[in-house]
Amino acid sequence: MAQQISSTKEDTPSRPLTAWFDVRKRRVGSWAFALNRLTGLGLVLYLFLHLAVLSLLVQGEEAWDQFVALAKNPLFLFLDVVLIFGLLFHALNGIRVALVGMGIGIKSQRSMFWILAAIGAILLVISAFLVFTK
Amino acid sequence: MAEQVVKFKVFRYKQNGSAPQYQTYSVTVDEDTTVLVALQMIRYSQDPTLAIRHSCHHAACGTCGMRVNGQEVLSCVTKVLDLGTSTVVVEPLQNIPLISDLVVDMQHFMNRYNQAGMPYMRRSEFNPGATVPDGIDFYHRVENCIECGICVSACPVAGSDPQYLGPAAMAAGWRVVEEPRGEDASDVLAWVNQDHGCWRCHVAYECSEACPSDVDPGGSIMNLRKRLIFGGGD
Amino acid sequence: MAKFHALIIGGGATGGALAHDLALRGLQVTLVERHEVTSGTSGRHHGLLHSGGRYAVKDQESAIECIEENMILRHIMPGTLELNDGLFIALTDEDVEYSKDFIAGCAECDIPTRVLTREEALAMEPKLNPAIKMAVQVPDGTMDAWRMPIRFFATAKKNGATIKRYTEVLEINKQGDTVTGVRVRDNITLKEYDIGADIVINAAGAWSGKIAEMAGADVPVRPSPGIMLAVYGRLCNMVVNHLAPSSDGDIIVPIRGLSVVGTTSWVVEDPDDLGLPQDHVQRMWEKGAEMIPEVAQSKFRGAWSAARPLVGARGADTGRELSRTFKCFDHLEDGVEGFVTITGGKATTARGMAEATANVVCGKLGVDEPCRTREVVTLPHTAFFN
Repeated sequence: MAQQISSTKEDTPSRPLTAWFDVRKRRVGSWAFALNRLTGLGLVLYLFLHLAVLSLLVQGEEAWDQFVALAKNPLFLFLDVVLIFGLLFHALNGIRVALVGMGIGIKSQRSMFWILAAIGAILLVISAFLVFTK
Repeated sequence: MAEQVVKFKVFRYKQNGSAPQYQTYSVTVDEDTTVLVALQMIRYSQDPTLAIRHSCHHAACGTCGMRVNGQEVLSCVTKVLDLGTSTVVVEPLQNIPLISDLVVDMQHFMNRYNQAGMPYMRRSEFNPGATVPDGIDFYHRVENCIECGICVSACPVAGSDPQYLGPAAMAAGWRVVEEPRGEDASDVLAWVNQDHGCWRCHVAYECSEACPSDVDPGGSIMNLRKRLIFGGGD
Repeated sequence: MAKFHALIIGGGATGGALAHDLALRGLQVTLVERHEVTSGTSGRHHGLLHSGGRYAVKDQESAIECIEENMILRHIMPGTLELNDGLFIALTDEDVEYSKDFIAGCAECDIPTRVLTREEALAMEPKLNPAIKMAVQVPDGTMDAWRMPIRFFATAKKNGATIKRYTEVLEINKQGDTVTGVRVRDNITLKEYDIGADIVINAAGAWSGKIAEMAGADVPVRPSPGIMLAVYGRLCNMVVNHLAPSSDGDIIVPIRGLSVVGTTSWVVEDPDDLGLPQDHVQRMWEKGAEMIPEVAQSKFRGAWSAARPLVGARGADTGRELSRTFKCFDHLEDGVEGFVTITGGKATTARGMAEATANVVCGKLGVDEPCRTREVVTLPHTAFFN
């Protein structure tokens, strides 16, 4: 009589949303991982938006001027800062992932994150200042 | 030695056609009661059908891995009152197929882990420089990995790629490369050098944070990648 | 020709070794374990691969069993045991005096010893109490308490045995005075069903008294728990014992990167309710530090109890009076046919316990097959889950 214990399935089902983004009890590396995915998606989305906006140029000066007026709106400027955050995070954490992923700085991967985060925070503050005052 | 009543919200699942559910039990614990002991108490006096794995009770066997309040731990060394919640949520490990209640199918885990072919004995690096008694070549010990599956449960990629080799299997692979003991390191490097292998890791490092036995699977995977990119070693 | 079907109750080291032995002798074997295998006592001891030294003076029957089985396990379980030998260390003049009895006792039991000076011992184990006076080296070792028995289970499975975990015995079925099988509940599916067998073997360790009762038989087993303490840090590579008569906290066993200090002893009625007396845990910190001072600064990993199954007369007080040897009961003597109990013993002697029991079982069934478990190399523990 063969052992009847068996698992419910051969493999567990793929569940990217919870596996990547449920970071409630996770540590900083998992937060970085989740944010990298989120900012990556966000930047791709932004790219399409950006192209769509640029296509307004084809529609003539008035359409473009309307857009520029909108772009000076504080909410829009705030979204610009969000975009810059996304860019900075993705780029800086990306540097960490690239280096560690080649075996460089393996033992300091956690401190590398915080150093890059500090650099990113400084750059973000400067950028935000420029965005709102320039 | 103050006693307290703590609620345990335990994931239950039986292979009898019924759906999974949570059941809540009350247990009187003190400051030394571990989650495992509390579960044994539930099993003994409230529900003998509660299926849990346990063996050594001191973080050496790896059988009692589970999620407690959403975090992967060995329940035998997790004290209930250290958790600081009046209700403790207890769930099985993720990313490994479920058998019943808190028991997952370690055959699935072992299928990947065994591919690494890691010998279980290694040199002991403790007390370096100590004299070795006559009749023994060097002090040795069993490998760190206790095959608990905690790293696999914690890994975000293991949750989205069912074929991912996973942190435990690849950490075992790295140990073969690091200390071959007669095994072929190039076999291991060829094995991890695939789509669902070491390149799938993206440095979340949750495996190394969660590991209860000092294996550092994250670092192991990165070392495998370094070896594949730059070569080196003997 | 139909095979005889042996049903084993209890998935500890003894049950596993017995399944392995009987499968090799050509029987059909089913083993039922209500929880995870080795979750009773076998997984929970400090992991000592006994040289027998601890029993060489006061319990020579056990000592001889231990050294014989120690040597066999080294052969049938390569790659699973930390074989770094052990030390019995003398901390006082009394200990030095005791060493004479100790060495003589070991010689009588064929346990190899080597006397070491203080300096030699400290060179091997630099973290020993610098006040040690001398030491005796013995062939102790460490076994991973979960993984050693798993090798028996893995090999038994490969040889056709059926290992049913999460399968709890509810009743022992009888026809008249003959045990015919068991009624079980599968805790995965909640189904109840019967399993018939030509012979039922009770290998339930500290629970073997409870199981025997179900069949109307009596087994004089006292569950005798002890406390163990695990700390972070592999403070010694060899097993370290106190060179003195058995007492609380007289051993430190390394495993991986941890050190386990043990143990104590008391007697209970219910093997499912052991308790965790904190004064015993405190004693482990103190006694451990007497042998290796760094224990006192080490970080706590865990403290737990495990119940030895002690066979012997009722009325024992601490458990240390009862022998650590094992006993096989053919309950025909109690008027119950088709039912055998094996209990007592220690993890190191599980194979030997199984051999003795398999001999009784095969004798009762008329199966004329020799035991092969001394020679057959077991599969690695990783094969169990196939």
